[in-house]
Amino acid sequence: MIVVEGLRKDFRSLTAVHDMSFTVGDGEIFGLLGPNGAGKTTTVRMLAGLISPTAGTATVNGHPLRETTQQIRAITGILTESPGLHEKLTARQNLAYYGRLYGLRAARLREAVDRYLAVVEMTEHADRRVATFSKGMRQKVAIARALLHEPEVIYLDEPTSGLDPSAAKTVRDFVATLRGLGRSIVVCTHNLDEAERLCDRIGIMRGTLLRVDTPVGLRRHGRTATVRVELNGARGPESFIGRLADLPYVTGVQARENTLVVELADPPHETPDLVAALVGAGARITSVVEEAQTLEEAYLSLVGEIGERDADR
Amino acid sequence: MRIGYVWAVFAKEWRDLLTNRLLLGAVAFPALVFAAIPTGLVAFIQARDLDPNQMGQIQQYIANFPGVPAKLAAQAFIVTNFMAYFLLIPAMVPMAIATQSVIGEKVARSLEPQLATPLEVSELLTGKTIAAALPAITATWLVFAGYGLVNGWIADPRLTRFVFSDVWIIAMITLVPLICLLSVLLGIVISSRVNDPRTAQQIGGFVVIPIIAIAVAQFFGGHATFSMQQVMIGDLLVAGLVGVTLLIGSWAFDRESILTRLT
Repeated sequence: MIVVEGLRKDFRSLTAVHDMSFTVGDGEIFGLLGPNGAGKTTTVRMLAGLISPTAGTATVNGHPLRETTQQIRAITGILTESPGLHEKLTARQNLAYYGRLYGLRAARLREAVDRYLAVVEMTEHADRRVATFSKGMRQKVAIARALLHEPEVIYLDEPTSGLDPSAAKTVRDFVATLRGLGRSIVVCTHNLDEAERLCDRIGIMRGTLLRVDTPVGLRRHGRTATVRVELNGARGPESFIGRLADLPYVTGVQARENTLVVELADPPHETPDLVAALVGAGARITSVVEEAQTLEEAYLSLVGEIGERDADR
Repeated sequence: MRIGYVWAVFAKEWRDLLTNRLLLGAVAFPALVFAAIPTGLVAFIQARDLDPNQMGQIQQYIANFPGVPAKLAAQAFIVTNFMAYFLLIPAMVPMAIATQSVIGEKVARSLEPQLATPLEVSELLTGKTIAAALPAITATWLVFAGYGLVNGWIADPRLTRFVFSDVWIIAMITLVPLICLLSVLLGIVISSRVNDPRTAQQIGGFVVIPIIAIAVAQFFGGHATFSMQQVMIGDLLVAGLVGVTLLIGSWAFDRESILTRLT
């Protein structure tokens, strides 16, 4: 479990990160989303014990950040922004080297290397020099390197960058498996689709955390959700407007061709009642679709709002 | 410091070095050149008689070897005088390896994943230092041994004894590793501040100037080689410089500054 309280990092006069507070539970995937320079990498570097915070505290699986950085590094796996492999060594030699740095030896080391080469589907390329690898192959070896020592806490910076769709799915599935094993996982990404698919909660950041919520919660943020109800039958949708307007949870309703567009505050709870009311009024419903904003829209509106606010200052 | 971690870094560096033929050439070439020039001169003199008309000009040099025939004394002077240049091998070679190693890692961005492991910076640097220094020390010792034996075989066995003098054996055991260490540490300090191996090596090239100056001064002073006292002073001086460079290095190669300078 990661617990972060008021973390701050200054580089001389530049404040890269400030007032960062969040938690990542065991078996949780937490996404950090933000524009370039938002402080995602700095945050991960601090939590991985690579750089020290200027202020604030954090504990990683109970280890306080400042006092026990070596223990934290021992239980942490990190996929850096750039694979950073040793070009003249083979994939197997690269992994064996890092395995030794994480304290693995002899048979345990060999087993771990073979296992993770297989996990990232690189067994047949294991004895080729990394210099001959494509970007995707390097990324796979770097992922294997981050997981080799079975870390309790994992930081993944753009984990599927450079991977083909099939390999990306393999990696996502494997990360989901790690969640099942109770690991705390932080994923930094620009890929909103990936964040939505993979993360239990997402923190949108720009110097600090602007908002932390589930992907669904972020999509709904600041907006009344819209539900589109398609009808089929002799009665046109406008004939139901009066009935719906009387319902206390409906905040707006419009008729468009054979569709009713209904605004609700809390669609998961209110949609069944809405459907029951319409059916009770004689409507023949063919489909009901919630039209929430996409995560991209939510992200851009949140980052944009703050950006404009900053610009006004 | 944990030996297993230092060994892991050393083994990786060594494996890396063995695949780098250009760098291996840079290790072998200067060592062979510094040995080949005086050996060639010895062979040249051996094949001819000294010109009696020129004996006056080299009198001050052959006077370093009283009781030895003039021709052998001239050869002995050349053999022992050139040995100062052997100190250039531990000055130049580790610098080339260390700068290539650190800057190569900075460019490949492979320092961050290593620093993210439980590996301490001191263990990383120790592994790198041994890996960079060992080829240079080995090359210097091998060339020293070969130089003494080959020249003795070409001219006279007494040349071997002049080469394997107490002074030079002490210099090989103490001064050569110290110069290696200084060279590696300077290479690391410089590499932590620049991102191009050629720039680092050009800056580091200044380390050879004092050694060349000493060798030239020794020749023009008419001295065949160093005295034991000079070797000891050299040891103390270089050890002091190593201490200062270690202090600067521990500040320059701080985990955080290395990482933040990468980006």
